[in-house]
Amino acid sequence: MAEIDGSCRVPLFLMFVSGAIWLVIASIFGLIASLKFHMPDLFANCAAMTYGRVHPVATNALIYGFGVQAGLGVALWVIARVGMTRAAQPWLIALGAKLWNFGLLVGVIGILAGDNTGFENLEIPRYGVVFLFLGYLLMAIFILATLHNRGERLLVPSQWFLLAALFWFPWIYFTANYLLLSHTPVRGITQAVIAWWYSGNLNLVWFGLVGLAVIFHFIRQLMNRPLYSRHLAAFTFWSIILFASWCGVPATAPVPAWIPSLSTVATVLTVVTALSVMVNIRKTCGTGCAQTENPAPGKFIAFGTMAFVVAWFLNALGAVPGVRSVTGLTWYGVGVWELNVFGFFTMTMIGAIYYIVPQVTGMQWPSVGSPKRHYWFALLGVLLIVAPLVIGGVVQGLNWRNVKMSDLDVAKNAVKFLRVTTIGEVFILLGNLMLLGNLIGLSVRYYKLHFVPVYKGALAEVKTAGVKP
Amino acid sequence: MKSSTNQPVSNAPQDLGAKDPVVPVWLIVVCFLLLYWGAVYFDERGGWFSTQVYTPYVSTEQLNTIAAMQGPPDPRVLGAQVYGRTCIACHQGNAMGTPGTFPPLAGSDWVNEKEAGRMIRIVLHGFGGPGLVVKGQPFSTASVMTAFGSPPLVGLTDEEIAAVITYVRGNTEWGNHAAPVTPEQVKAIRDKTSSHSQSYTPAEIMTVNPAD
Amino acid sequence: MRHGPLVFLAAFFALSASWFGFVLTPQVQLGRSVQETNSVMKAELYPNDRPGNARQGLEIYRANGCVYCHSQQVQQNGMLVNVVLTDAGKNTMAVADLLNEEHLGNFSGPSVGAGLPKTILTNASIDVATVLAKNVKTAGGVTQLRLVPVGPDIERGWGTRLTVAQDFVADATALPGSLRVGPDLANEGGRHRDLNWQYVHLYNPGAVTPKSPMPAYKFLFEQKKIGKQASPDALQLTGELKPAAGYEIVPKAEAKALVAYLVSLNSDTPLFEAPLTPPAPAKSTNAPAK
Repeated sequence: MAEIDGSCRVPLFLMFVSGAIWLVIASIFGLIASLKFHMPDLFANCAAMTYGRVHPVATNALIYGFGVQAGLGVALWVIARVGMTRAAQPWLIALGAKLWNFGLLVGVIGILAGDNTGFENLEIPRYGVVFLFLGYLLMAIFILATLHNRGERLLVPSQWFLLAALFWFPWIYFTANYLLLSHTPVRGITQAVIAWWYSGNLNLVWFGLVGLAVIFHFIRQLMNRPLYSRHLAAFTFWSIILFASWCGVPATAPVPAWIPSLSTVATVLTVVTALSVMVNIRKTCGTGCAQTENPAPGKFIAFGTMAFVVAWFLNALGAVPGVRSVTGLTWYGVGVWELNVFGFFTMTMIGAIYYIVPQVTGMQWPSVGSPKRHYWFALLGVLLIVAPLVIGGVVQGLNWRNVKMSDLDVAKNAVKFLRVTTIGEVFILLGNLMLLGNLIGLSVRYYKLHFVPVYKGALAEVKTAGVKP
Repeated sequence: MKSSTNQPVSNAPQDLGAKDPVVPVWLIVVCFLLLYWGAVYFDERGGWFSTQVYTPYVSTEQLNTIAAMQGPPDPRVLGAQVYGRTCIACHQGNAMGTPGTFPPLAGSDWVNEKEAGRMIRIVLHGFGGPGLVVKGQPFSTASVMTAFGSPPLVGLTDEEIAAVITYVRGNTEWGNHAAPVTPEQVKAIRDKTSSHSQSYTPAEIMTVNPAD
Repeated sequence: MRHGPLVFLAAFFALSASWFGFVLTPQVQLGRSVQETNSVMKAELYPNDRPGNARQGLEIYRANGCVYCHSQQVQQNGMLVNVVLTDAGKNTMAVADLLNEEHLGNFSGPSVGAGLPKTILTNASIDVATVLAKNVKTAGGVTQLRLVPVGPDIERGWGTRLTVAQDFVADATALPGSLRVGPDLANEGGRHRDLNWQYVHLYNPGAVTPKSPMPAYKFLFEQKKIGKQASPDALQLTGELKPAAGYEIVPKAEAKALVAYLVSLNSDTPLFEAPLTPPAPAKSTNAPAK
């Protein structure tokens, strides 16, 4: 077991620490973006700091810097553990992660310089995308190799979910970026349809598959009991693949009616995914969760599960024709996105990180209570961000329909809700700084414990051999 | 209590030996109800994959009804469409043609004749041959204008021919200011010249009386 | 896994179904659209190429992420019809009786023919309007049907008809947006054509729309010493926004391009898939006035 964990140490360290750094960057930029609504003159003279460049940096750093990277790291660990096999070629996985980080860094600088592609979740310009894609391929190939090397041939639900996700991401990423950013891109509104398709598949399908895989695994890990029903997990799997892959196109889109109709039907149907997960987890947890001496990861993952169910319910609700005419193109969609990406996926991955890193390094976190403190900050932050956005979105939608209210008044009213959201962003930033601090503190202790004695010993050997150091 | 955090997670068969609960019936029912709703929704609002139906319209029949309600379209629209499909390849978008090969239609007296008889015949039966001079420039004998009178391949209907000739004759941007032409005139000339199977030559067309 | 390959194939087909449906099919249906002469009312290409400066402005719009707060998709909830009587015919009594029967007014023979063209029925559904038009035709009169799209977006003045795929064919990047913090911009060229207003709004939105949450884009402008005379496109600012004496605020090339793009945004042309009756032209021409 320790050997398996140890084999993952190098790539996981790199991915988690880089992920935490990107998470902090995302929170800082997210806070700046949020502040600009209340202080329009902030950085008004700086082109790189305009809202339209700061906002995509925040979302891309969150999604690609932390989301996909930490997701792949946790996936590697889960696959290695469940398959009872060492990670395959950990140094190559680490190289893939370095390529990924390089591509994202180059892309983020490009966005700040004005090379924003304009498509949501796809803002990284072409020169960054190439490195991101190559890095992903490197990481995914060896994670799949780890899966291939497994001892027990029968697959558990977590493995099906991760397998599907690992294959699906390169397909959607390559398709979207090639068709939109190559030298002969598709023309006209087709660009927007493809961008929406990619966005829905990334946020719902990919994050859903990976996040649920991690949740299913940790329920067994932390509570030492199996998932209630494999059949229900299969039902969840197929419902995500069949329905959630068609979500993403808003009903108001300027495209022929069949495209948004199919997307609307699919989005409403994703409610069965949320229901199936709810039933499965409720029946598994039954009479409450077992207590462990390290409750923080469990808290994060429990919150992540609840956030998943609520986010997918709200998403499906937002597509119902009567509701959508109010909530379409408002802050409601942004709130649901935040709940899904941050409340569900990021919190789940943070919980996984708080569990995995001690396992993999054999050390404890520098401050015992810190993960729990982080949890409360993050919980408060998510609630303060999501609730005003969802409620504010509904109010904003009603106001847009009220023709007597001028455009300016509607915008000003919506911004009142954003004041609460900005406070939430501050809490999230503090929590993420805690994560980074914990990771850096632990790595310093690891270094002191493992490398310093080796270094001192080598130095002593050299001295006794009479060679001047 | 022994910590449960460091136990290996087994997916060994004992895990799966117990009877695996099935998906609850109510969930399947909900799923099917939603699929039914989805089918009805798509049938009503999806426009059945048509590229022309956008929300709030529901079908191309409705769009046709609305289009019909607006009365007949401006014939210049049809003429411009026909020109853009058919004539533009040789006579070019600015109606200046290609020197030596395709004559211009802009400001040409062939176009601006008071009666359009020659022009209608040219479009119906084609045109080519030696001795063509337009606006003082000669044009080669090699290129022959296709006959556009006979459907189905490149043929145009009487309405389309009348529309495109009206469009070209009346296009002030090109310096043309001749009177429009009706589909009836085109039909009359088509009937009159139905036995004329070859394309017209410049020599022959000069013998035709435009008012005929 | 026993059925491993089968499950893998099934998942592959399920996922590829969405690729087929939302990537391949839209590309086949819409990706090869060209500028067409399908404008119902005018024999012109639609959409027209934007002028060169406006095309660059689209790049500035994209680079500065305007799409995160502004959409370019007008929605329409329905279509209503106004019936306009243009000719009362020879037997005006018949038409007058018909209209009186339908409770559309109290007309007599002479009065129904006075003041033509006049609207006899407003905001009717398509069916009701077509029936009335047919009945008036039978009675010897002539009507025109004017189409009136309805919806909150249209009543707000954001456009006169819904936005369709054809509206984006001439643009290098289609940016319909997904969030409205500020108004929809699909017809910005129709609403704010005054260049100075656009420049001042970008320089300091609060100056023209008080307490607006839109961030200021001062980096698109520069402060210059006034030369022999003020530049023609210097911003006309008032109050505390005015620069120090002897200086003027001038838009940089990016600002000019962006404003050229904003002012070129117009999607009011009627199309087959987005019908609309535009207002009658001021001068009567040979073309049938609709």
